Amino acid sequence: MIELQLTVRGPRGNAARLRDLLAREGFTLDGDWATEGTALRVTVSHESGDASLQSAAREIEELDAALRELRNLDVAKSQFLANVSHELRTPLTAIVTYGEVLRDGLLGDLNDRQREAVQSVIGSSRQLLSMIEEILTYARTSATAIELEPVHFATADLIRTAHDMSASLIRKKGIRFETTVEKGLPTAAADRDKILHVLTNLLGNAIEFTPAEGGLIRVVAERSAKNRGWICVTVEDNGIGIDPEHHEMIFREFAQVDSSRARQHHGTGLGLAIAKNFILLHGGEIGLESELGKGSRFFFTFPSVESEPQEGAD
Amino acid sequence: MTETKDKLPLVLLVEDNETIRGAFVILLEESGYRVRAAATGAEALSVAVESQPDLILMDLGLPDLGGLEVTRRLKADPRTSDSVIVALTGRALETDQQACFDAGCAGYLAKPVDTQMLLKTIPEYLGTENAK
Repeated sequence: MIELQLTVRGPRGNAARLRDLLAREGFTLDGDWATEGTALRVTVSHESGDASLQSAAREIEELDAALRELRNLDVAKSQFLANVSHELRTPLTAIVTYGEVLRDGLLGDLNDRQREAVQSVIGSSRQLLSMIEEILTYARTSATAIELEPVHFATADLIRTAHDMSASLIRKKGIRFETTVEKGLPTAAADRDKILHVLTNLLGNAIEFTPAEGGLIRVVAERSAKNRGWICVTVEDNGIGIDPEHHEMIFREFAQVDSSRARQHHGTGLGLAIAKNFILLHGGEIGLESELGKGSRFFFTFPSVESEPQEGAD
Repeated sequence: MTETKDKLPLVLLVEDNETIRGAFVILLEESGYRVRAAATGAEALSVAVESQPDLILMDLGLPDLGGLEVTRRLKADPRTSDSVIVALTGRALETDQQACFDAGCAGYLAKPVDTQMLLKTIPEYLGTENAK
């Protein structure tokens, strides 16, 4: 029921005209027709107003239910992804293990071409497995509330660990690798495993998109210019770069900059979405500066022992 | 190897997937170990008590008892507490490595295990790397 309180000023005739007008338009006049001086107060209600109000309320309820269902579906989707990728790992593990048993001649000697063929089976299976691991990590981070386990660590050590993990790839491609850590950088206070995950992911992308000839990757750790007591790590490469119009999109799940690149460069398109999740959980920022053909510069921030809780971070 | 068949180290492989179990049995037998296998936690407990293996490779995702629970029980039982137990599982985000050590595992290997690495590591766990 819609109710209006009207106050009409002016000669009494005006009130009468108003009453007729309202009645013609379908209002019910519930008259406490009190007069105060020349003012007239009246409560009116309108049936059609009532109905449209009710249908608006119903619509809001329906939207709310639909939203709740979407959220449930999203959790269900992530759980499904987690289950499927878990199930996919088992047969792949068997393929890899049997492959290695064969490759290493435990069931009889292989000639060189046979060994190469088996090695290809193993290599491809491991590649598939690492993609499945990525999907699993993503699904777990979005299906369940992830709790951070913050510890104190030195950012320089973290960069060294990340470099060591990719050292063979860097060497194989002949990429130059430089690190700069600001003097007096405070001790980090964050979930080390997750920050390491972010850094190795960015490093992996940089390695993949940097040319073998003249490739250069620079990792810099410094105090954040924007947020006092926060650490900012940047990973810079001189590779193919990313068109600014794609900058926001690449942090979304399942995104690949374009399909031709997807064909050239494998990957699930989940790495950066996971990285973003992990950084946002810390209240930090992640982003990039890049132009096509001019390399990319990714950065992310995380707290140190000197950080004060941030306000308005998203 | 020059030892008699009885002296070869005995490895108990606990893994619920039959195909993967088969692969590891070949790997270990062809590399000179005696191998027993178990598909469930309950089976692992009874085989371990009966055979007292030198090393147990323990898959953590078992259908009945979890691998960590089996490990705790084996470590609490004086008949099996001397067996070295190494956990086999997925990657670090899933299982707390500390939980493995707390349960009594001597080590932790991510699946799919690199078989060459595994064969290199087993003697270290058995403390026999110098005995060869």
